[in-house]
Amino acid sequence: MNILETKGLYHDFNKLEVLFDINLEVKQGERHAIIGPNGAGKTTLFNVITGTYAPSRGTILFKGEEVTGCKPHQMVRRGMGRSFQITSTFNRLTTFQNIRMGVLSNRGIRFNLFCKVDKMHDVTRETDEFLKRVNLHNERHLPASALSYGKHRCLEISMALATDPDVVMLDEPTAGMSKDETRYAIELIRQLTEGKTAVIIEHDMDVVFSLADRITVLHLGSILASGPPDEIRKNKAVRDAYLGEMEG
Amino acid sequence: MKKRVKGIVWGVILVVLLLYPWLFGIYFTNVFVTFAIFALFAVSYNLLLGYTGLFSFGHAMFFGAGGYATALALTHIKGCPLLVALLFGFLGAVALALLLSPIVARLAHSAFAMLHLAFSMLLYTLALKLRGITGGEDGIGGFPIPPFHIPGVVSVDMTDPLNFYYFAMAVLGGSLWIAWFLTKTPFGQIIVSVRDNAKRVDYLGFKVPHTKAIIYALSCGFAGIAGSIYAMFQDLISASALGIAQSFAPIVMTMVGGVIAFSGPIWGAGIFALIEELTTRYTERVQLVEGLILIIVILFFPGGFVHLLAVVKGKWLEFMRGKGSGLITGTWFGKKSRKKTTEGNA
Repeated sequence: MNILETKGLYHDFNKLEVLFDINLEVKQGERHAIIGPNGAGKTTLFNVITGTYAPSRGTILFKGEEVTGCKPHQMVRRGMGRSFQITSTFNRLTTFQNIRMGVLSNRGIRFNLFCKVDKMHDVTRETDEFLKRVNLHNERHLPASALSYGKHRCLEISMALATDPDVVMLDEPTAGMSKDETRYAIELIRQLTEGKTAVIIEHDMDVVFSLADRITVLHLGSILASGPPDEIRKNKAVRDAYLGEMEG
Repeated sequence: MKKRVKGIVWGVILVVLLLYPWLFGIYFTNVFVTFAIFALFAVSYNLLLGYTGLFSFGHAMFFGAGGYATALALTHIKGCPLLVALLFGFLGAVALALLLSPIVARLAHSAFAMLHLAFSMLLYTLALKLRGITGGEDGIGGFPIPPFHIPGVVSVDMTDPLNFYYFAMAVLGGSLWIAWFLTKTPFGQIIVSVRDNAKRVDYLGFKVPHTKAIIYALSCGFAGIAGSIYAMFQDLISASALGIAQSFAPIVMTMVGGVIAFSGPIWGAGIFALIEELTTRYTERVQLVEGLILIIVILFFPGGFVHLLAVVKGKWLEFMRGKGSGLITGTWFGKKSRKKTTEGNA
């Protein structure tokens, strides 16, 4: 069953077309990688799906319902999480407070003006448990801006998952990480997305082929190929456009 | 133990507040009421600036709206009770905020600041021109101040400065407490997140414009309460309460006191009240001194007075313990300083 689907999706920036006829199908429970050269439209596709922009044409289906034009907070409430390529955390808040925002959202605690957030022991417990799972509990009291790059990226990824989404969209989760950090982050993603659906933009082919169940290749704003890793690896058009230069 | 110390400190503050008129006399009591009014006004401003990251050049319009609403209610409604007049002040400011929020809640940064400057100038001009309602330049004055009256229980004459002092302290203190409590709630957590990164707040499932609109209305409501008490205290409200100078008062108080803490604007209001009190004994050029202080603060203590306090505390602890205190949160004289960031604004 497709949990996320786009049908004939187009997007343009002031008439400059950046996405053409995108028909993406993401099955429930799979890890779906989106690859493609720089400027292929990967992040724009993410922005359109998660509600930053409304598509200029086409429809988006999420869990069988049409969500075209929904705003980001509406998508999140329907069960979608997203992380960003450029780390986007609450820098003056602590790691704990950053994650707690996700926990609060997941519990639907939004406009509560009548009790202290520190006294919500369930929320605190859940946040602490989550911090242990993502191995950030030692940095609990540090402001996000004081974290090391690798940890900061981990926080970025973790925040997308703190709302307990069904589908998580990770935009280059390992961007700028060292080899060790990448390995660690991949393991973390593997663990956290267990039983969930993940859509991941990634440049590191080792990561893509080890993590993804299916791969979609974007090239110049349209889908070049989509299928399991082996099929993509053998695909001539993909080799010519993208993989060839890396493997040849 | 820490809780007990806190309790003792608050107890002492309460006793001092209660005895204040007897300790310092009626003149300084009135000075103190003015300070408390501006403390609430500045704190209400900091809910926007320090907590939500919204910089406004027109916060006085809500102070003025509160003052005018109360003055109009007391002038035109016969036998309007004291608390109803206060409620009018609060609701007047909130109504104005709700009117503007569909526009301003979607803005941030300089657009937010400048639009407030424009709206406040508009209201200032209206207050001057609509003589029939606002009394023009003279404002509205000489309205009756009703007694604090609970039927069959108590009736306290509010024209007595001593009684008014206690009433003002209860209202202003209560408002400050509510504002403080607000910052500790989950909602308080969401507004500081909006300040840090509004896009991410959206991507965590919260509605950013709604969040901004609510804190905006609340902040303006507190400013309205300050304005309402101000109007009753002076028995006068005039267009100057809506003017630019009035809008800049909470900005400079917050800057001098420090945006990084809830208490910052209160310190700022206190510092300005003291400066004014001391300067007027020698010269009328109060603004000259206030301007100098502002320049010194911006150049050397960008974190404001609370930042300075933290530095002094750090140095003191270092001195007491020898080397290695981890509590230093800044350095003297504006050298590259690490600001206190951990708890957001807490």
